[in-house]
Amino acid sequence: MSTELELHHRVSQFMCREARLLDERRWNEWEALFLEDGVYWAPATPGQPDPENHVSLIYENQLLRKVRIARFASPAAPSLQPFPRTAHLVTNIMIDSHNSKSGEMTVNSRFLMIEYRRGAQRIYGGGYAHDLVEKDGAFRIRQKKVDLVNCEGPLESSSVWF
Amino acid sequence: MATLIDNRPACIDVGALVEPDRVHRRVYTDPAIFDLEMERIWGRTWIYVGHESQVREPGRYYATTIGRQPVLLTRHSDGAFYVLHNRCAHKGALLVGDRCGKLKELRCCYHGWRFDFDGKLLGIPLEHGYDDTRFDRKGEEANMQRVARAESYRGFVFASLSPDVPDLETWLGGVASSIDNMVDRAPDGELEVAGGVLRYEHDCNWKFFVENLNDMMHPMVAHQSSSLTARIVAKKELPADSPVPSAIEIIAPFTESYSFFDDMGVHAFDYGHGYSGGKTSIHAKYSEVPEYNRRMEAAYGKKRVEEILSVNRHNTIFYPSATIKGAIQTMRVVRPVAVDRTIIESWTFRLKGAPDELLRRSILYCNLINSSANLVGPDDQESYRRQQLGLMSESNDWVTMHRDFGKDEEIAPGHYYARGSSDISFRNQYRAWREYMTKGGR
Repeated sequence: MSTELELHHRVSQFMCREARLLDERRWNEWEALFLEDGVYWAPATPGQPDPENHVSLIYENQLLRKVRIARFASPAAPSLQPFPRTAHLVTNIMIDSHNSKSGEMTVNSRFLMIEYRRGAQRIYGGGYAHDLVEKDGAFRIRQKKVDLVNCEGPLESSSVWF
Repeated sequence: MATLIDNRPACIDVGALVEPDRVHRRVYTDPAIFDLEMERIWGRTWIYVGHESQVREPGRYYATTIGRQPVLLTRHSDGAFYVLHNRCAHKGALLVGDRCGKLKELRCCYHGWRFDFDGKLLGIPLEHGYDDTRFDRKGEEANMQRVARAESYRGFVFASLSPDVPDLETWLGGVASSIDNMVDRAPDGELEVAGGVLRYEHDCNWKFFVENLNDMMHPMVAHQSSSLTARIVAKKELPADSPVPSAIEIIAPFTESYSFFDDMGVHAFDYGHGYSGGKTSIHAKYSEVPEYNRRMEAAYGKKRVEEILSVNRHNTIFYPSATIKGAIQTMRVVRPVAVDRTIIESWTFRLKGAPDELLRRSILYCNLINSSANLVGPDDQESYRRQQLGLMSESNDWVTMHRDFGKDEEIAPGHYYARGSSDISFRNQYRAWREYMTKGGR
C-alpha cells in the first residue's frame, strides 16, 4: 500500500508541476517533460479514435511545440497581445495502469483551465489522459491527450496549451 | 458625411454605403444592416448547405442553417436529396435537434407528427380531430416545407430561400471550375466529406472573414509570428539534409514575399465570386505522393493529369457562404450569427480512389491553419476583431478599397483579373453586396 501511495503522490506532484510550468510560462521546462517523440493531442470530437484521420484542435510533435513556444516570444502575434494569463487546475488523478517493469503508466485526471484574455475570462475543462514513462526516478510524457468537454465547439481562438 | 445616412433602420439608404472604391464602416457594425443582409443576401441567393456524401443513404440527415433559419439536408428513399425547413408543420418545433444522423422517419418530439424525408406528412396522432376543420391533412401546409430552391453541383448542395435565383451552375459561373478541379483530383472522380469538422467562433462580422480570403497583402504581416517562426525553428531544429516535414511545407508559404502573392493574381466574377492563384499558390509546393500520381494517371492518362494538377488555386469564394481550397481539398463555411459574431466551419474531403495520405494532409492543414487553437488563424481572427472594434470610431466613415482601382483587366466577359496585391476582391464583393442589398429595396 505504501508503494502505491508513494507512486500516487509522485504522479500527482508531477501533474501539478506540469500545470504550474504552463501557468508560469516556463515553456521550455514544460516541453522538456515530453519524450523526444512525445505528442500533445487535443481531439476535436468526443471519443476520437485517432489523430491522423480526423481533425484535431491541436496535434503537435516536438517540432510544432517548439514553433508554438517560439511564437509565444514573437512580438508580431496580435492574438497574444496582451499575453493570456491562465490557471490550470488538475484533480481526480487516477493511475489506471502501471507497469512497474517498464515504468509505463496511464494517468487519467480532470482539469480546468481558467484563462483571462482580451478583458474576459474563459473556462476550458475536461479530461487529461497522460501516457507517462518513469525513468531514473523522473516522469516523461509520451502523450498528453486533452479531451475538452466542448471539443466539437464552436470554440473561440486560443493559443496556450490546455 | 455624417449626415448622409439616417440612423433609423427604416431609413437606411443601403446603396449609399458602398461606392466603387470605398465602403462605409456601418456595413460591419450596424445590427440593422446585419438584419437586412439576412433578408436580402442570405435570404435571396444560393447558400451552401452541405455535401451529398453527408446524406449518402435514405434516412440520413444533416442539420444546418441558411442565414438564421434552421434547415435540414435529407436523403429520401426515392434517392434524391431534399433541403427542408427544420420546422414541424404543427407547432413549429425543430424536427431534429442534433446535427446529423439516420432515422426511419422524422418524428416531432413534441406531439409526434411524422414526416418523410421529402417533407411529406406521414401521420398525426388522433388525426380525426382535424375532421371538418380548415386544416387540410392533404394540403401543402401539412408538410414540412421545402426550401424554395435546392441544387447540387458535383455533390456540393446549395439552396436558396428565394425562388427568384438563376440556376446554380449559371450563378456559380467562373468559379464552378474550382469545384470541377477539386473533384477531378479524385481518381474515382468523386469527393466525400471525411475527417470531421472544426467549428471556430469569430467575434466579428462575417464579411471580415470573407474579405480576408483573397487579401494578399496580409499574410506576410499577420502570419509572421507563426509562419516565419516556423521557418526559423525548423531550420534550427532539423538536420540540414532532412526532408521538410509536411507541417512546415504547409505553414512556411504564408510568409512568401509580396511579389509571390502578387504573381498568384486574383480573379473576380459576378455575384461576388472569385479566386486567387491559378497556376501557382501557397499550396503548389507540397511533396508529391507517388502512389496518388500513379492512380491518377491510371484513371485519366498522363496528359489529363498534368492539366488537372497544373491548376493550383488558393481560396475560391462562393459569395457569401463558402470557400474551398481545391489543391488541398478543404472547405470553410460561413455561418453568420450576429453583426459581430460568426461561426466558421472547416471541412475536409477525401478524394475517392486516392491513397489515405491525401486526406491526412488535408486534415493536417486544417489542424495547423483552421483550428481555433492553431498557430495561424488566431492572428487573422484578432485582426478582424480589431477591425470590428476600430470601426466603432467615427473619425472616418469610410474604409478604403483603392489599391489598383481602375486597373482591373477584363480577360473574358464578366471575368476580371488583377495582380495579387490589388483590392479587386473587396471591390467585387461589395459590388455584389450592393446589388443584393438594393434589389427590391432602396
